[in-house]
Amino acid sequence: MDIRIENLTKTYGNLNAVDHMSLNIKDGELVGLLGPSGCGKSTTLFMLSGLTTPTTGKIFFGDKDVTSIPPEDREIGLVFQNYALYPHMTVEDNITFPLINRGVKKPQAKEMALEMAKVVKIDQLMNRKPGELSGGQQQRVAIARALVKKPQVLLLDEPLSNLDAKLRVETREEIRRIQQEVKITTIFVTHDQEEAMSISDRIAVMKEGVLQQYEVPQTMYLNPANIFVSRFLGTPEINNIEIDVKDGVITADGVELRRGVSLADGHYKAGVRPESFHVAEGGISLGVEGIRMTGRDLLIFSKFGNETIRVLVHSYMQVNPGDKVEVSVREGHILVFDDADKLIGRF
Amino acid sequence: MEKKSFKGYIYLLPSIIIMICFTLYPLVRAIVMSFLGDYSIINGSYKSIGFDNYKDLFKDPDFFKSLRNTSIYVICVVPASICLSLLIAVLINNCKKFKAFFQTVYFLPYVTSVIAIGIVWRWMFNSNYGLINYALGLFGIEPIQWLNRPEYAMPALIIFAIWKSMAFNILIFLAGLQTIPEDIYRAARIDSTPRFRVFTRITVPSLAPMIVYSSVIGMIGAFKVYNEVFSLFQGKAGPANSAITIVYYIYDKFYNSYKYGVAAAGSVVLFLIILAMTQIQLRVTGEKKKN
Repeated sequence: MDIRIENLTKTYGNLNAVDHMSLNIKDGELVGLLGPSGCGKSTTLFMLSGLTTPTTGKIFFGDKDVTSIPPEDREIGLVFQNYALYPHMTVEDNITFPLINRGVKKPQAKEMALEMAKVVKIDQLMNRKPGELSGGQQQRVAIARALVKKPQVLLLDEPLSNLDAKLRVETREEIRRIQQEVKITTIFVTHDQEEAMSISDRIAVMKEGVLQQYEVPQTMYLNPANIFVSRFLGTPEINNIEIDVKDGVITADGVELRRGVSLADGHYKAGVRPESFHVAEGGISLGVEGIRMTGRDLLIFSKFGNETIRVLVHSYMQVNPGDKVEVSVREGHILVFDDADKLIGRF
Repeated sequence: MEKKSFKGYIYLLPSIIIMICFTLYPLVRAIVMSFLGDYSIINGSYKSIGFDNYKDLFKDPDFFKSLRNTSIYVICVVPASICLSLLIAVLINNCKKFKAFFQTVYFLPYVTSVIAIGIVWRWMFNSNYGLINYALGLFGIEPIQWLNRPEYAMPALIIFAIWKSMAFNILIFLAGLQTIPEDIYRAARIDSTPRFRVFTRITVPSLAPMIVYSSVIGMIGAFKVYNEVFSLFQGKAGPANSAITIVYYIYDKFYNSYKYGVAAAGSVVLFLIILAMTQIQLRVTGEKKKN
């Protein structure tokens, strides 16, 4: 089911929780709504579910305007952040509940529930109560309950935030697998950029109610629309530096970074990701102030102008605080932004 | 370790002393008294030791009438009160605007003196100009002699008691309703649950612990009913003792007939009944919890 959001706005008092948001989601895509807390991503999700009514704007499922259709008639499945399972019912009763409400006969409902339980791999737990399940299992039950009525759209509110780190990675792969298996248009909310990038077909980054960028993860990571998006994606965080351009030469703090660029002379903001550096003789000389071993990479902290910058190098490299390393920036990895923080180009 | 527990007992001492003086000692005395024939509380004399009081008790038709009345009272008041309270609590909880107002109004019976309430209800039950007969009259029902005819005394008492006991139950259920997470109701909405099914399949099961608590407390309270009788029938037990209850019977034997031993025997019987009922209830609910 294609989803079209047009000029969606939700106002609380004089605060625009969601501000004129427009978005097209293609059938069968997994879309991550990403942003810091209070950015309006959950509000957007609840407006899609129908539990929250938009102040202005429209939502279309396919060609149908669903803006004023109540949640029970929208053909959506919703998984709550805390799962909201019915605590006094068994897993089976939880999953059959929406079916029986819709008038499905009990034997058939049980059959459909078992089928869905097998998809999410909880068919061994049908007679347990939610209280006897782990967080990950409860989440699977919640997904099964949302999917069993064969909705057109699946909505997940912070689906991984209540799980521990290891389970989180496992479960996000599971969500992806289930989504692919059922082939359902899915929208999930998260504040974790890694989570969003790893499983989404597309990511919508929001800030203070305004959609910043809607893009395929890789494209977004390489071409962030603005400084906010560039900072929000990626760990360690992108390095923000000030650059000067004169006669096609980019310099920062007096050090030449690139020549032969087609940019108007002037002062710009720029971003360089920590992994965009590579060690090169005769490059920029950086004094090592501190190191963090992360496993695959070694993170070096260094002073550059007035800023502390982060540089990732391969973990076999032997450096100690006080040493000097010479690095250069990979071609096309200097992101240059204008005064309005918008990306101008990569050099 | 030993020292620690000794210190603990010292802290408990005041309440233990109070318990012993006002609960345990009277309990033991009442049991002892129930086995003493023609016991006098003035000089402590008695004529015999044995089951004479119990024999008298079980020969007295009034005692059986009080047993029957109390049973009817418990069976009618406790479930009806819980059902109505549940309904009203849910209504109040859903009423966003005047919630605080209704909460106060429904709690008034609990904090008002039973005697005062009794006076109001006597007026409402009045066969000539009472509100209840007036309301029934609108539906073409003949005036009922609520308080003057033996056959209507128990129904009047039960209606009065249901109304009065609802205050406490509503309070408990309202507190319980606050603990049900809003997301469960949202989930139910997404699951297209019809309203009545939301009530029966989600609200009621979530309130199960409060319902059990209310029924246990309500049942024990109902077995000890006395105030309601006293206030509604102005110190009597209804016309021709038609609304006599066990505690009223005990009171009557003690203060009006001076048969202390029989009164004590009656209290022991009541004690055993309540003990048995709560044991059954705890076992039933305990087993349910296991499942």
